[in-house]
Amino acid sequence: MHPDAAKRRALGYARAPMPRARPPRQRLSRRSFIRRLTFLGGGVVLLGPLACKRSSEEAPKPAVDPGPLGTAPGGQRTHTFSSFELAVVAAAAERILPRDEDPGALDADVPVYIDRILQTPEMQPMRDDFLEGLAALERRSQRMFQKGFSAITPAEQDELLTLFKDSPPRSGEAHFLELLTVLTLEGFLGDPSYGGNKGKVGWRLMGFDAVGTIAMAPPEGYDGPKCLRECGVHK
Amino acid sequence: MSLPQVDICIIGSGAGGAPMALELGRAGFKVVVLEKGPHYRPQDFVHDEILNSRRNFFMPLPWEEPHLVRKGAKGKYERSTAAWTANCVGGGTVHMSGFFYRLKPVDFRLRSTLGAVPGSTIADWPISYEELAPFYDKAEQELGVSGQAVAHPFAEPRSGPYPLPPLDVHPVAGEIDNACKVMGWHSLPTARGIISRPYKGRAPCAYCALCGSYGCEMGAKSGTNASLIPAAVATGNVQLRPGCMARTVEVDKKGRARSVIYVDTDGVTQEQPAKVIVVSCTAVESARLLLNSTSSRFASGLANGSGLVGKNLIFSSFGESQATFRMSKQAEKRPWLKDPGPFVNRSIQDFYLMPDERFGFRKGGTLGFMWTHPNPIHAATGLAGSGASAVFGKALKDRMRAYRDSRILQFEVYGEFLPTPGSYVGVEGSVKDKYGIPVAAITVERHPTDLVATRFLVERGEEVLLRLEPDELKRTSTSGETTILQHGTCRFGDDAATSVLDRNCRAHEVPNLYVVDGSFMPTGGSVPSTLTIAANSFRVASHLVRALKQGVASGG
Repeated sequence: MHPDAAKRRALGYARAPMPRARPPRQRLSRRSFIRRLTFLGGGVVLLGPLACKRSSEEAPKPAVDPGPLGTAPGGQRTHTFSSFELAVVAAAAERILPRDEDPGALDADVPVYIDRILQTPEMQPMRDDFLEGLAALERRSQRMFQKGFSAITPAEQDELLTLFKDSPPRSGEAHFLELLTVLTLEGFLGDPSYGGNKGKVGWRLMGFDAVGTIAMAPPEGYDGPKCLRECGVHK
Repeated sequence: MSLPQVDICIIGSGAGGAPMALELGRAGFKVVVLEKGPHYRPQDFVHDEILNSRRNFFMPLPWEEPHLVRKGAKGKYERSTAAWTANCVGGGTVHMSGFFYRLKPVDFRLRSTLGAVPGSTIADWPISYEELAPFYDKAEQELGVSGQAVAHPFAEPRSGPYPLPPLDVHPVAGEIDNACKVMGWHSLPTARGIISRPYKGRAPCAYCALCGSYGCEMGAKSGTNASLIPAAVATGNVQLRPGCMARTVEVDKKGRARSVIYVDTDGVTQEQPAKVIVVSCTAVESARLLLNSTSSRFASGLANGSGLVGKNLIFSSFGESQATFRMSKQAEKRPWLKDPGPFVNRSIQDFYLMPDERFGFRKGGTLGFMWTHPNPIHAATGLAGSGASAVFGKALKDRMRAYRDSRILQFEVYGEFLPTPGSYVGVEGSVKDKYGIPVAAITVERHPTDLVATRFLVERGEEVLLRLEPDELKRTSTSGETTILQHGTCRFGDDAATSVLDRNCRAHEVPNLYVVDGSFMPTGGSVPSTLTIAANSFRVASHLVRALKQGVASGG
């Protein structure tokens, strides 16, 4: 058995048989985005690749939360992903940041982060894009390997993700891979109050907030998601 | 329904709006400040990269309030977050790095000193450095600037020292000093809008390393939110209204500005009449507001009879290289690399003007040295790369581990961005923001001279970095533009046919309308312009207070 497969099982990402039904989405569409033209030291690169073309009439609606859809191995209830989808996200994120001598995406609870952050109402366009991309990844896996993405070997997963990465710059596939990478890194390196970066393993890997390094992290007990929810409604 | 009339309504609370609010409030006039963003308090500024740098805490979302950006008139518009500055009380001064350079006398006389440039619409300023200098002094004193003036060939005259001594710097600054000395260049302490000592009741810098793109929870960064705005409100004459988005400036039958129509924080449309209206929403957004303020008198936008509103858009020309020092390799030679000091604060201005005519136009610029920003997500997404050359998996983790072992020194170029007929702001009626207001559409066509000069400056900066013998040197950009530094869209001048504003930043066509953000600048200079915008606003305020007391500007 491939060690990664064993780890996946040990971490308990169960494979559910079928994705939960969703309203049909448009096929992955061409995305148009522009790299931010400027610097601003800290990189106010809003969501990296997400300056999507979108009609302004189509205002983001708050997510209708039908209650928890699944459960993460740590017991956290998921609201964006079904258990099946969560397993695909987990497998994919772990290929972006695999555990080696240092912790990987699953060790940091990256899938829990992605599930939660995509519940932010303003992030609906991103949520839709991510779920579309995830479905496309699963379809491609079935077509290429006759198995779901979370069931193929890590080498096959890498092959498939590389195929997405090398797709034409503005294709849905390339867009999804970039989204997956960015969200995985956010979940690995963001404030732990968002559900990822468990035990600050990401910060330790990058040397952020470690003894003798340069920046201070938020205080204990800080609630990032609450601030994010309230940002823009300060009065 | 219309609200009671006030003396002055100011739209925007950043580097341009806040000095006006303070000075007019001090002079006893009733002022309302409309600010589209929220009023964050120091406790709202947390070192949370996701909140601060990757969501809409400061910048609007591109699907809610896009800017349309294209390269050249034949390009296709893309929705972008480019050319926004922070949407909150204090505007861009909240998340600025606070590099508080002054312009130099030559910047006010670029065309007459260096000559016309084919393909560029550069013009001299109608005022001189000497006229602005007292207001630089005032802005430095009111906002709080830490620095140390040293003599060098392009040093601008100063009446005295900076209000505060320079911030402590990392030992690497000494190495830059030595490298520059060997080359016969001048390593200058960079003045910062960050207070190094307690000042006017504000606490000094805590050296946390998160300045740029963050708000300062200490209040040590001299954003207007921490300095001028509280002082303005304390006059008792200034009412600050956050969460209020201006839609249009309305005019009366005589063509004078009458009121501002805005959407308040509850989404209700309000009308605020005022005797004088001051627009200060950034060069892009102020142009948008005027162009959207159409009337039978001003069919193509307020104060735009000349057709010049939105034209002559100027950003700042950007270049950058990064030198990486591997701590493990440098441990013996440079044990002090581990020093956590966040500031390098060194600049080179020996090439503010080029040594000769080799590139056709002799304007160069400034090099500013700094550590790369410590934001880990930003760093990691950079390490991952994008497109087909992106990496993931072990390759990405190896890069992240190497990053942990690194300190990365970089410089940024602030180069002249020449105005061209091809760089301008318009409005795009078919694309509206979440308020239903047509959005700004930006077209950029760089002048080739800029790019050559910026590359020249990048090469000079690399000479310095190479003398420090880094383990790696990487050129990041020689052809970028810094869109948070924006100017020119309502240029000022003495001729109403070639400028939008007069020398006091009053619209030629509307006697009680002022624009005081970077829009007035016919050339942008080769330094970040924040301090210049604030200084000019103090200058305009001084004029306006006098005029109002004489009953001129309001038409008596």
